[in-house]
Amino acid sequence: MKCGTLATLTAAIVLSVATSAMAVEGARAFFPAVEQERGRLVVHGATDVEAMEPLIRDFQSTATDVAIDYTDYVTNDLYRDADAACRKQENFGDILLSSSVDQLVKLANDGCALAHSSAETEDLPDWANWREEVYGFTFEPSVMVYHKDFVPPEDVPHSHGELTDLLRFKPDYYRGRIGTYDLRQSGIGYLLAFLDAQQASTTYGRLLESLSRVEAVLRCCNNAVLSEIDSGNVFIGYNILGSYAYAAALRNPKLRIVLPRDYTLILSRGVLIPKGATRPDLAGRFLDYLLSDRGQEVARRKAFFFSRTGPLPDNVDGPPKLIESGIGRPIRIGPALLAAQDQLQRSTFIDDWTRLLRGSAGGKTP
Amino acid sequence: MRREPSLFSRLVVRVALVLCGGATLLAVAAWYYARAAADDAYDRLLLGAAIQITANMTVDHGNLAVALPTSAFELLGLAARDRIFYRVIGPDLKTLTGYEDLQTDLDLTSARSAPVFLSARYRDVPVRVVVAARALSDPSFSGWSYVVLAQTTEARRALAGELTSRAMILVGIMSVLALAGTVLAIRYSLLPVSALGAALRARDPQDLTPVDVDVPRELRPFMASINHFMGRLDERVTLLQRFIADAAHQIRTPLTALSAQVDMLEEDEMDEVGKRHLGRVRKRVGQLARLTNQLLSHAMVIHRSDSVRFKPVDLSDIARKAFRAAVPITVDPDIVISFEAPPGPIVVLGDAVSLREAIANIIDNSLRHGTVSHLAVRVVGGDGRARVEVEDDGPGIPRSEWESVTARFVTSKTGEGSMGLGFAIAAEVASAHRGAIGFQEKGEHGFTVIFDLPAQVEGAR
Amino acid sequence: MRILLVEDTRDVGEAISRRLEKVGHTVDWQTDGQAAADILDFTDYDLVILDVMLPGLDGFEILRHLRTNRKTTPVLVLTARSEIEDRVGALDLGADDYLVKPFDFRELEARVRVLLRRRAGDPTNLIECGDLVLDRNSRSVRVGNREVQLKRREITLLEVMATRPGRVFGKDELLDHLFGFDDGANQNAIELYIGRLRKKIEGSRVRIVTIRGLGYQLVADDAA
Repeated sequence: MKCGTLATLTAAIVLSVATSAMAVEGARAFFPAVEQERGRLVVHGATDVEAMEPLIRDFQSTATDVAIDYTDYVTNDLYRDADAACRKQENFGDILLSSSVDQLVKLANDGCALAHSSAETEDLPDWANWREEVYGFTFEPSVMVYHKDFVPPEDVPHSHGELTDLLRFKPDYYRGRIGTYDLRQSGIGYLLAFLDAQQASTTYGRLLESLSRVEAVLRCCNNAVLSEIDSGNVFIGYNILGSYAYAAALRNPKLRIVLPRDYTLILSRGVLIPKGATRPDLAGRFLDYLLSDRGQEVARRKAFFFSRTGPLPDNVDGPPKLIESGIGRPIRIGPALLAAQDQLQRSTFIDDWTRLLRGSAGGKTP
Repeated sequence: MRREPSLFSRLVVRVALVLCGGATLLAVAAWYYARAAADDAYDRLLLGAAIQITANMTVDHGNLAVALPTSAFELLGLAARDRIFYRVIGPDLKTLTGYEDLQTDLDLTSARSAPVFLSARYRDVPVRVVVAARALSDPSFSGWSYVVLAQTTEARRALAGELTSRAMILVGIMSVLALAGTVLAIRYSLLPVSALGAALRARDPQDLTPVDVDVPRELRPFMASINHFMGRLDERVTLLQRFIADAAHQIRTPLTALSAQVDMLEEDEMDEVGKRHLGRVRKRVGQLARLTNQLLSHAMVIHRSDSVRFKPVDLSDIARKAFRAAVPITVDPDIVISFEAPPGPIVVLGDAVSLREAIANIIDNSLRHGTVSHLAVRVVGGDGRARVEVEDDGPGIPRSEWESVTARFVTSKTGEGSMGLGFAIAAEVASAHRGAIGFQEKGEHGFTVIFDLPAQVEGAR
Repeated sequence: MRILLVEDTRDVGEAISRRLEKVGHTVDWQTDGQAAADILDFTDYDLVILDVMLPGLDGFEILRHLRTNRKTTPVLVLTARSEIEDRVGALDLGADDYLVKPFDFRELEARVRVLLRRRAGDPTNLIECGDLVLDRNSRSVRVGNREVQLKRREITLLEVMATRPGRVFGKDELLDHLFGFDDGANQNAIELYIGRLRKKIEGSRVRIVTIRGLGYQLVADDAA
């Protein structure tokens, strides 16, 4: 999903740059080969080109004859176009990147993916690999972000339950000051909410009730919520992807990040080589690079900040060992995500959610 | 002629064939059962998932609703690599959710009594399909709804493959062990055959006593046949020898009498013709006498070679005695007859009587058929051999006949009359003593017959 | 000489008797073994000729009986028995010689002569002259390891000359030694025997030299 710029695009030849918070479909960036171009890799990504740029640049330093044509999509659009191309057996890019891994799983389930395996893919944990077709290449906890100036230390929630209780005890103070995704607009928002409901349905129900009571602010996307916090309109953001949150915190030190200590969903951004790829070889090389130690290191430092193996970034409040403690719950890339992708399920879930958050409390939308 | 394969290879090849056939059958069976087992295992998952989905069907305000449980997909996700297709069908047979093109040839109503499994293809891949039905009854809504749940078969095939290959490894190991065991068992079982063979090989060719080797029951008829045959052969040989000896003896007495009568004829009173006839009769009687003696002699050496234990004896001494016995006192005085032996004894392992008989026959033969004016008998030792050489200045025997004169009753065509059994006796004795009869052509010396034996080794005494 | 013949076959007994009597021997012929044994108990003979297969007592029994009585009378055994060990047995029991039936009657006569001579005279067995050794017992002359068979008269001739080597013997003198004064032997016979002897001692350093007009001389070439 693409909601806005994550970082300033500096060096690339930008054909079209998304500047608005709203998704602009078809934003393209072209990265020419460092040397004589011998191959061109077409990447379709539902991930900001700014986040991907350091990775692309570093990849090109190892593959100097490869040019990369990057097109930015919103997750739902990426899925829709990829699905259509698959049905018609047409070409749609050489490699697809998306934070909505459930959509990539659906594509793979429908037979739209090419398998790829290599030394790099071997080392991946099971939850980040399905059928050697869909790989998770990032490690992005779903976090809570708060503004230090407006949230006193004793109010800082460290778990879903604490957030619920806070909103119950101080509803007036936080009324209209809690921000989260609007599920109707955000695929990743829906996925996180759906998985929240799966993880702890009671806790989730109570949290939803509290959010409704304090008339939570609903925004399309991570950056929209983060900018509301940045400006002080919203005090606490819920279910924000750690990478966006950390980028925002780097810009504004008053923004603080908390990883819930009861459980923290961890999203792994997915990558898939579509069946119609013209250069599956280059796609495989890029995929291997993304999964390699080098690619992971660049991602940790410049793009996504969290990593599967490294420590938590500085100034992040959370359990030190996310996976080992059992608090971190990686979203398993696998057929279980198909349940989230069921159209009936999705519409029912979103309808219920909307009815609860909108109908009774009439939460604000931009 | 095609070589008959050995018992061992016959058995091994046949057992190996049976094992191969068995292994193939087992492999097919293993594959079949593994497939069935894998299908059974994964069908349960599929059914479990379908039941979970039907269980989550609800009627909400007159509408059918279904919340697909994640757990159902997690259950199917146990087959980690398999893709999942599903379709929920309402009572109006319209697709409620899922893959609308997931069709089956099945009449959905048949799933009402129990879930139905079938194998099919969907999106060009083989899938296993379960159709489950649920009756919904609500005041506002009632009817049957269905879940069609399909799963690709990768995990099933992988499991079936793994089960099959493990079974095959076991079958393979068992087959190899069985074959190895069979090889050992056959080898062991055939040991008595080789033992019997070795015992027969090790036997003295003249030993016709029954073979006494412990053999398994299966070989006893075979051995009994051998022994029966040997017994008969022994009987025949004994009978023949006895017959020869008896016949020789029976002839002797009248022959001596005949010879006596001839001797008493008064030569002086005969005319020339009469004297000539008498000379011929005398000569023939002499031949007959000699042949008779040789027959007895032959029977004797054959008998002794079977029955007498060899002892160390001095060949010089034996040769000297044979020399004295063989050279008649009445021999033509113009013939120079000499005997030569080294001063010390020349020891051979043998039967003195047979050896003397053999040497005497050679000398006798030479005197009658060879010697003109010289006969020399020499005993020579050295190089581990002991030899008696009988040299005469006669015409000798042509090289082409050397081999045949040692056979019985062979007449040298160039010589006069029958050589009789002389050389046959000598050859028989020589071979019984692991020696041989040789000849040396006339050259610097006269024609020489060589009776050649291995000498007794000093240390072997 | 007095000879006991024990032989039950008429034809054979008759032939032997006649042949031996013809050369001047007295032959007592018995056909029964027991009778022969009885006779031997109280009569001495110069030679016994014994058939093995006999009615009454067999030849071996008689021989054993004779030898246990310490009689040294020479015995010539005649055998026709099919038992193969006969010949060995005969010698072991103390027979002096044996003949296997059927035999040559001249050979029998020759053997009888030898046995009787061995009995009568008891001459020095070995006479040496140069590298020649004359063995009267085995009727042979030895040069080194080689022994050459000699006839009775050849032995006598060689013996006469060898006892006095170097001496010249006239033909008449030698004729006397060989044949006595009877027989119609002439000097040609001496030349014949000398010729035979020369052949039989070939290879020796001892030579028989002819001295024309005088006779013969034995020369031992010790110097050669």
